[in-house]
Amino acid sequence: MLKLFLAEFRRSWTQFIRYPFEAIGGIFITTSIFYGLFLSAKYVTGTAFQLGDRFDAIVIGYVLWTLILFIMTEVATGLQYEAQTGTLEQIFLSPYGAVLVFFVRAIASLTRQLLIIGVILAIIMGLTGSRLTFPPILILPLITVLMSAYGLAFMMGSLALLLKRVQQVLGILQFGLLFILATPAESWTGWGQVARWTIPMTGSAGLLRDVMAREAGLNWLELGLAVLNGAVYLAVGLLLFRFCERQAKKQGKLSGY
Amino acid sequence: MNVLEVENISKHYRQGGTRIEAVRSVSLTVREGEVLAFLGPNGAGKTTTIKMIAGLIEPHTGQVGIAGINPHRHPQALRKVGAVLEGNRNLYWRLTPEENLAYFGVLKGLTRSQAKRRAATLLERFELTEKRKTAVQNLSRGMQQKLAIATAIIHDPLLLLLDEPTLGLDVEATQTVKALIREIAQEGRAILLTTHQLDIAEELSDRVAIIQKGEIVAQAPTQELIRQFSGTHYVIEIEGELTFEQRETLAAIEATIESDRVVSIRGTEALYQALGILKPLPLVRVKRDQSSLTEIFLKLVRNEV
Ligand SMILES: Nc1ncnc2c1ncn2[C@@H]1O[C@H](COP(=O)(O)OP(=O)(O)OP(=O)(O)O)[C@@H](O)[C@H]1O
Ligand SMILES: [Mg+2]
Repeated sequence: MLKLFLAEFRRSWTQFIRYPFEAIGGIFITTSIFYGLFLSAKYVTGTAFQLGDRFDAIVIGYVLWTLILFIMTEVATGLQYEAQTGTLEQIFLSPYGAVLVFFVRAIASLTRQLLIIGVILAIIMGLTGSRLTFPPILILPLITVLMSAYGLAFMMGSLALLLKRVQQVLGILQFGLLFILATPAESWTGWGQVARWTIPMTGSAGLLRDVMAREAGLNWLELGLAVLNGAVYLAVGLLLFRFCERQAKKQGKLSGY
Repeated sequence: MNVLEVENISKHYRQGGTRIEAVRSVSLTVREGEVLAFLGPNGAGKTTTIKMIAGLIEPHTGQVGIAGINPHRHPQALRKVGAVLEGNRNLYWRLTPEENLAYFGVLKGLTRSQAKRRAATLLERFELTEKRKTAVQNLSRGMQQKLAIATAIIHDPLLLLLDEPTLGLDVEATQTVKALIREIAQEGRAILLTTHQLDIAEELSDRVAIIQKGEIVAQAPTQELIRQFSGTHYVIEIEGELTFEQRETLAAIEATIESDRVVSIRGTEALYQALGILKPLPLVRVKRDQSSLTEIFLKLVRNEV
């Protein structure tokens, strides 16, 4: 397991930095966006000093947003790309089984992405002189968000296995994500509360907002629900992926016939 | 020992209401150290069969056993299989040969240090050491193909599946790949390869299986098949002029005079009669006329047998 993770991480990292201009360009663009975000926030509120925790919340919110977008499209786009280059079938030839390989892959590329984001944040902090602080307890709701995001990612991957082209679906999903993450579902009532914990990530995103911006403590019951939400989506995503893998093998579609 | 045992596998596809019988009840075996050339016209079902062996396509009926284990039920069986599937692109183009080998080694179940050690040996043997740090996309097609084969055997599999390994290679690269395949078989691996270049199949294979419209129409040791189809046709090459009389008597035993110096004849008895008639002309050579695998293949798939 660990050796597979390290191999996947190495592969993903090497592919990323093989063309340094491309890698640095990507980091440069993202950093600029972040910096612009910072400047405009400063402009709106007057000075950077008063921004304080609000600025942190904006940055964390944006980081989260890019991270989830990355995760949700990662499995499906990776699959489509590898179907084109011909490496996809080799993964299905692995004695580890495709589900495990793709899962470990997902974690490896998340690690890579977190590293890149870390570098970008360090640059921003260096540029602006401000320090980013967030309560460590943030990690817990963050993990539940990531679990649901990976659940959705594997559902998209399942579609990609059978349909090959899922660009449109991914587009729609990104749009839905905007709604999910930005809606203050905490204020919903009645069935709205049920929806809040059944729709992927809405509940967890609310918890994140609590911890970050409102400086509220963590509601442990709600965290439990968020964990459940994440676990169910992840499990369903992985099971669906397994099912679609079998289906693709039945239809002779693994390589994109 | 039979490394690969395929028993009556079939596969059909449904496409727009019609049923395509891609593979019908195909059975194959390949022993260790043996090269089986799996031949057939376009769309005959070769790739489908190979992918069913590799566990990438599920057969509707039948069994696949790799060293006795069914890869469809037990993915561990895949530790014993290496495959280069259609074309040469089963590599990461941004990674170097070294990195590809190390990655795929781990993917196939080796530890990193095992993979790296084996990678170094293979790079040396496949004459890629010099290019080990060049991204795959900057390698020539021949080198990419060599690397694809090296990658397929990184985990030391018993069975190697090669779907058109020489497709798109120039003459020299084809020779190199051919030599490598022969070497790999000599190490005791079982090899199943498809190709449309029948001269390659004839040279490399110990046995051939010919598939047409999803069905095996012939499966035999290569030399035996050639012998069987060659019959008893002889060619005699002579030096000097045939007299009119000699020509007449040769015609009487149904020998054909192909040119002034070449006489061809059917049957061993007739051969000795012809030699008597030709006496005392000096002989250059007497040879049994062999059909090539290409001729046999064409006969079989055109149903001329
Ligand atoms: N996923 C699929 N869906 C429908 N039909 C398919 C599928 N895969 C293969 N076929 C059909 O099955 C038949 C066998 O195809 P296959 O690719 O195995 O042939 P092949 O012998 O490898 O041919 P070639 O020499 O051209 O590579 C063909 O008629 C092909 O069109
Ligand atoms: Mg084919």
